[in-house]
Amino acid sequence: MDFSLTEEERQTRDWVRTFVQREIQPLEQQALRRERAGEPGVTTEEFAALRSKARHSGFWGIQTPEEYGGMGLSAVMTALIEVELGRSFVPFRFGGSADNILFHANEDQQKQYLVPTIEGERISCFAITEPGAGSDATAIKTTARKDGSDWIIKGEKTFITGGNEADFSMVFAITDPDKGVQGGVTCFLVDRDMGWKSEYIDTMGEWGPAALIFDDVRVPDRNVLGEVGEGFTLAMQWIGRGRYLLPARALGACERLVEMAIEHARNRVTFGEPIAERQAIQWMIADSAVEIEALRWLALSAAWQVDRGLDSRQAQSMAKLFGGVKANEIVDRMMQIHGGMGYTRELPIERWYRELRLLRIYEGTDEIQRRTIARNLLKGHVSVRGALG
Amino acid sequence: MNIVVLMKQVPDTYAERKLQAGDNTLDRDASDAVINEIDEYAIEEGLLLKEAHGGEVTILTMGPDRATESIRKALSMGADKGVHVLDDALHGSCAITTAKVLAKALGTVEYDLVIAGSEATDSRLSIVPALVSEALGVAQLSGARKVTVDGSTVTIERTTDTGFDRVEGAVPAVVSVVEKINEPRYPSFKGIMAAKSKPVTTLSLSDLGLSPDEVGLVASTTTVESYEEAPPRAAGTIVKDEGNGGAAIAEYLASRKLI
Repeated sequence: MDFSLTEEERQTRDWVRTFVQREIQPLEQQALRRERAGEPGVTTEEFAALRSKARHSGFWGIQTPEEYGGMGLSAVMTALIEVELGRSFVPFRFGGSADNILFHANEDQQKQYLVPTIEGERISCFAITEPGAGSDATAIKTTARKDGSDWIIKGEKTFITGGNEADFSMVFAITDPDKGVQGGVTCFLVDRDMGWKSEYIDTMGEWGPAALIFDDVRVPDRNVLGEVGEGFTLAMQWIGRGRYLLPARALGACERLVEMAIEHARNRVTFGEPIAERQAIQWMIADSAVEIEALRWLALSAAWQVDRGLDSRQAQSMAKLFGGVKANEIVDRMMQIHGGMGYTRELPIERWYRELRLLRIYEGTDEIQRRTIARNLLKGHVSVRGALG
Repeated sequence: MNIVVLMKQVPDTYAERKLQAGDNTLDRDASDAVINEIDEYAIEEGLLLKEAHGGEVTILTMGPDRATESIRKALSMGADKGVHVLDDALHGSCAITTAKVLAKALGTVEYDLVIAGSEATDSRLSIVPALVSEALGVAQLSGARKVTVDGSTVTIERTTDTGFDRVEGAVPAVVSVVEKINEPRYPSFKGIMAAKSKPVTTLSLSDLGLSPDEVGLVASTTTVESYEEAPPRAAGTIVKDEGNGGAAIAEYLASRKLI
């Protein structure tokens, strides 16, 4: 079993590592200062400048197929890149990506939505969650009724990532109440200027999603993404698009937090000794390092299964669950090692503490992951022996 | 115009660096290894000159096995080929023997210009470029913040306290550069993918006509007799500004003879 990276993989990973070290981490102090003042930590212009610099070197469209000008990197490589990006709390993403389901767009829709999204000229958001339908996406109530050659959408979506910035949304609505999710849900591409509105939702983190209001929004029939009635299949495809990437990003944060804590423990002297000499501190560092290593291989193994075309859902759920739980335990311990300083907003620890909490809730809560994992086992879909059988 | 860039792999300056017990040489396995930072500027300058004048850029390094990683990175930035002087007997070589080996290796490639960074972040001697030019018997133009080549003349600007000196020499020559000279490029993704197929020649001591007793620790003109670890950082002094902050800081700085 070979766990090593090829020379190209290592160089690609190191490129991102250097980029994070030289371009992103230097923005952190200023970002913390601005956030303390209630401003965005990094401005849209600063993000655009970073993306343009990366694009100049060809780092653009990490998983976008090469025929669309992207890099078409493997899942494993993408996970390795996410780990490096996770080492800064600055939420940087390379440009050149579009939601996986947008690739189902027909030729006209590709020109109007997919290509401009890849180019960064348009911003999309994925809108399925509703006030009464979170983990249970089958409970959506938003409707679309046919009116001549148009559809009229009515309903409310919530917790929509990117919903404040998006200029079009991929909205899921019931088009056939009798069929429900079994052929009765359709996905629509809806421009903001067709009449939907967004409202910012303040959260515990620096991240703020949106509520989207569709009050009889008229959408032409040509804006149906995929086939009428096939929306739920698209939704499931979107949800399964890369769950392994979330724990990979958290893993990067954990690595950085433990490094910070090690540095602090060596330098912080109490009762005449660095606290690194204390067993209580050593155990926190040891446990965290073991969990980081376990998480690394859980996430990479899920990515590897994706690359092999295996059914990776169990592995992805496991990585997502373990990543969410452990990242929260680790950030808590690292704050403890830092003591009072860790609690201040001078250091990014409390920021990560707030940010990582989300990982246990969004894109499938801990409970939903456990439910999936257990059911897969109980129904005999997978074996507890894992991918190697 | 063919250019050789002298590149050294050094421990990452972000990491904790250590000497190894026993022979007091640098523990190169203790931390991540990277291209010496100023050498990235040297590589960039080589690539810019190649873009302006044509020719090839060759990366020359002397170092352990893992130095290949740094050669590959330089190739991914756009250099054309690499020469790696690799021999266990080189371990512990001083600046003078290093320069001797590099000069011998330069004898195996065609070059008009040798470009080097002005110092390495590990040893910080800043002397190898001068020693190499001496061993080759060619001009040395040091501390360049700008390099221009016109026919067989190379001209540099060397920063001084009051401005800069313009220094001219005939090619072939050795030029060392400082960080002001350019901004090193990131390798491109295509460059990373292309680096694999670029040639890297590995040379041993015998390939260079040198014997093990001429290099390494045994022939070193300098040795590290002993060393001590830096003391842990002491607690800082906090000056509270109660209207006399400026005076208190001045007093503190004066007590340290800093002002």
